Amino acid sequence: MSTTTSTTAYNDEFVCVPRAGTLYDVLELILDRGMVIDVFVRVSLVGIEILKIDARIVVASVDTYLRFAEACNRLDLENDTRSTTVPEMFGGLGGGMVKKAGKKGLKRAASSVGDKVKGAIGAGGDEDDDEQDEEQEENGSGGKQSARRRASGSRARSDSRRPARSSSRSGSGK
Amino acid sequence: MAAAPSPASAPAPGPAPAAGFAPAAGEVYVYGIVGADHRLRPEHRGVGAPPTPVRALRRGELAAVVGGVPDGLRARRRDLLAHQELLLALAADGPVLPMRFGMVAPDEAAVLDQLATGHDRYLRALEPLRGRVELNVKALPVEMQDALAALVAGDRRIRRLRDELRRSPGYEASIRLGEAVAAGLAERAAESADRLLRGLAKLSDRWVRGPEVTGCVANLSFLVEEKAQAAFQAEVERFAAAHRDRVALRLTGPLPCYSFVADDTPAHGPRVPAGA
Repeated sequence: MSTTTSTTAYNDEFVCVPRAGTLYDVLELILDRGMVIDVFVRVSLVGIEILKIDARIVVASVDTYLRFAEACNRLDLENDTRSTTVPEMFGGLGGGMVKKAGKKGLKRAASSVGDKVKGAIGAGGDEDDDEQDEEQEENGSGGKQSARRRASGSRARSDSRRPARSSSRSGSGK
Repeated sequence: MAAAPSPASAPAPGPAPAAGFAPAAGEVYVYGIVGADHRLRPEHRGVGAPPTPVRALRRGELAAVVGGVPDGLRARRRDLLAHQELLLALAADGPVLPMRFGMVAPDEAAVLDQLATGHDRYLRALEPLRGRVELNVKALPVEMQDALAALVAGDRRIRRLRDELRRSPGYEASIRLGEAVAAGLAERAAESADRLLRGLAKLSDRWVRGPEVTGCVANLSFLVEEKAQAAFQAEVERFAAAHRDRVALRLTGPLPCYSFVADDTPAHGPRVPAGA
């Protein structure tokens, strides 16, 4: 086991190598365990408890997409007939490709789940869905997306977020 | 080593964000409690984008590791990971009492007050975490073909329901069979999880059940000596292989000791389910 948190699945539907950077399996520990000091404010309790539910949905679904993507990435290529995208999806096994496959795979494997999630969180999404947002734009799926953009447009988006994010994601290769 | 509180790192007051937490001036995000001599490294960073620097507030033999509160802070993926990774990095240099994600103190004085008030209790809670990590094991029903076949072969009632359905196909009969299969798979997984627990409890200092998680038949956290991690993982692996058609397992770790922050946890966790 490494010094970064990782999850290893055994006998699961999708057998995975240890995956770092996932929160799917520990979300309830980060949000419901750990020390609490009464006189401090709990950030996710400020305003609405709903935020916690949102976080669960968003974080868990992104992790699920990544798991799907990884499973897809391991599929026998011969059995996949969607040949136009296969080279792009399955062209390599490096971390970058897994992520790339994640972006494609999640829309294919779980688009209906994604729609439900987006419906559920409404404008409450954050840059966690940035990759999905980009993906949707690439795919040219319109209406709901622009509504989401408008809804979140009032929040400042600094460019510095993206590098910070990708560097934390790249830790999953270790 | 972070020294005295630096006014420069207080969160800058700004326009209220559209969503999330609007920090007031002077508020600090509290990551965890460590020993006063705990080393803070320059590369340690916390929540926010870009990741915010962290510092130590010391009182007596304790220190709180704190940082600024980014605008619009809430439970988003990036910040959850930042919180967790900082706690894990800190744990490399000594025991850490991890705070739950998102604890914000009104100001530094409030943190120092808390360190004074809970001083002895926190010290007592820290010691058992020295050189320990939390490992989490989730047990789920297996839904693969093999598991189904094993269940049908081993469960007379399910075989009967299946035969009924074959004789007279219909919605009600399908539901009855499906329900029985789901319950059967969950029951088999839960039995296996109990057996697994008995083995893993021996490899850990303490264990607790975590919050219920949809889809899981058991959510178990173990406090494990760092050097025992490999043995623990090997046992999970061995057990999983031996119970391939009964239970799916997900082992996550190392984690900050989220589930072991109270100094009133019984020394060996709750009673392990009876039976050998």
